[in-house]
Amino acid sequence: MSDLSSTAIIRARGVTKRFGDFAALQDFDLELNRGDCVGLLGPNGAGKSTLIGCLHGVVRRTAGTLEIFGLDPNTDARRIKQHLGVVPQENALDEGLTVQENMELYARFGGLTRATARTRIAELLAHMSLEHKRAATIKTLSGGMKRRLTFVRALLADPELLILDEPTTGLDPAVRHLLWEKVHAFRRSGRTVLVTTHYMHEAEILCDRIVILDRGAVVGRGAPRELIARETPGFVGVFPNQAAKALRPHLLPTWRDFPQGDHICIRTPHLEDLLTLQKAVGTQALQLRPANLEDVYLKLTGRELGHDE
Amino acid sequence: MTNKVPHTLELAWCVVVRNWVVYRKDFLANISPTLADPALMLVALGMGLSPFVGQISGLSYAQYLAPGMVATTVLFSSFFESSYGFYVRMTYESVFKAMLTTPIGVKEVVLGEFFWGAIRTAMMGGVVGLVLLVLGLLPRPQAVFFFPFIAGLLSIPLSAIGLLASALVRNINQFQTVYSFLIAPIFYLSGIFFPLDGHPVIATVAQISPFTHGVRLLQIATWGHATTTEILYHLGVLVVASLVLGMWANRRICQKLTN
Repeated sequence: MSDLSSTAIIRARGVTKRFGDFAALQDFDLELNRGDCVGLLGPNGAGKSTLIGCLHGVVRRTAGTLEIFGLDPNTDARRIKQHLGVVPQENALDEGLTVQENMELYARFGGLTRATARTRIAELLAHMSLEHKRAATIKTLSGGMKRRLTFVRALLADPELLILDEPTTGLDPAVRHLLWEKVHAFRRSGRTVLVTTHYMHEAEILCDRIVILDRGAVVGRGAPRELIARETPGFVGVFPNQAAKALRPHLLPTWRDFPQGDHICIRTPHLEDLLTLQKAVGTQALQLRPANLEDVYLKLTGRELGHDE
Repeated sequence: MTNKVPHTLELAWCVVVRNWVVYRKDFLANISPTLADPALMLVALGMGLSPFVGQISGLSYAQYLAPGMVATTVLFSSFFESSYGFYVRMTYESVFKAMLTTPIGVKEVVLGEFFWGAIRTAMMGGVVGLVLLVLGLLPRPQAVFFFPFIAGLLSIPLSAIGLLASALVRNINQFQTVYSFLIAPIFYLSGIFFPLDGHPVIATVAQISPFTHGVRLLQIATWGHATTTEILYHLGVLVVASLVLGMWANRRICQKLTN
């Protein structure tokens, strides 16, 4: 039975989607409670968009059980989507229409009356600092404005769950920070967010839990801090590749070294280890930093070893 | 859940409204080709050929062509909007990627396209009818009242063909093939340009095409002279073709938009 007051917003058990022999998503479990913000990380083709498709009923899962607000998207997509806001990867705005016309259409799709729609659109445009663009044609908007407008569109029907599919890809830092602030505001009102991203920093800022997917399977999950502490504890020194030879004899067995582009990274339990190492080889690290989610991501998806997709 | 769940028809209507809002932005560019075609044909063939053709069952050639001009508008408007138009919305504009995240589902998208096609062609059929009336090409002026209904009904199987093409083509250029090998034959061999009676083979093959039956109904509305059985037969074929092709198109589009 559907129940919007229940705490479980998404409950996925063993959700699997196969296309022929290829498993786009395999045995996916997720429990998302009211007020949570969970991030899905993973390389392109890891299964993130497949999962989002399953959630709003455009992808029909091959196996597993899936409930959103206690309803199955295979049979009750319409009722689920009444309380769902989605920012898809592509903006998919009607380029020839004005901002106001476009939003009025979507307000109608979401079941808002004309009067409610007017107020709601005005509020949200102001909220996203777009009120001065109300009469502008979509194609005259900048990329950042279009993205903000897709947020307005997703929020029109006052959703309980907001799904963001790579919300800030290709945006400048100012817009990115603005959108993050809006996601935080949305969460402060007690509602729930699911976000996919390629930006680890974004995941750390927005999410209280992370699920890392690779080739359709979950390879890691937990709170960002917890994941870092478990998978890649300590500090990372980034050295130029030329220093690799000089570094090797000084590395302890408990440390890890891995290539990253033109650089060699050394991860040690303590910052002092790296400082000592710098002195020993007489080379300054390009960067000394605490291990972060990107290190976890690269380790768990096997990209740390320089493997390609 | 707290909110009332919207009905399929309400949501399909939303799709109609969306298409109308976009269509009216470029109203003249959108409406002129489908109205210009029959006008040109009437001038070139009706006026140009009339003196050579003589009379067909007591009608001038221009009068003979007249009901077919309504059919022409319906055919091209339905096919192009549901093939190129729909395909562009689906593939290049990604309209449905956003739309399907709202309570609208694929069924409503398809149903909305049919409604939109029927309403649009009903209006266009009415307009073409009025022009024909003014030109004095309608022996039965009351035909003008029937045109919108026949046009709307005829648009359904034709839109279904366009949607099926949208679901099946691998790229936008392949619509040209569909046009050449399907739309052009059903157009030229539909009885618009010459009576099929004298050509038993063409007449028999043309019965397969729903368009032929729509043309016949428009001609009957314009000229009279038909038995109730004949009218019911053509109506029946159109209704059955609408249902069969409509459901088929719905299935294929559903496979295309969902995984």
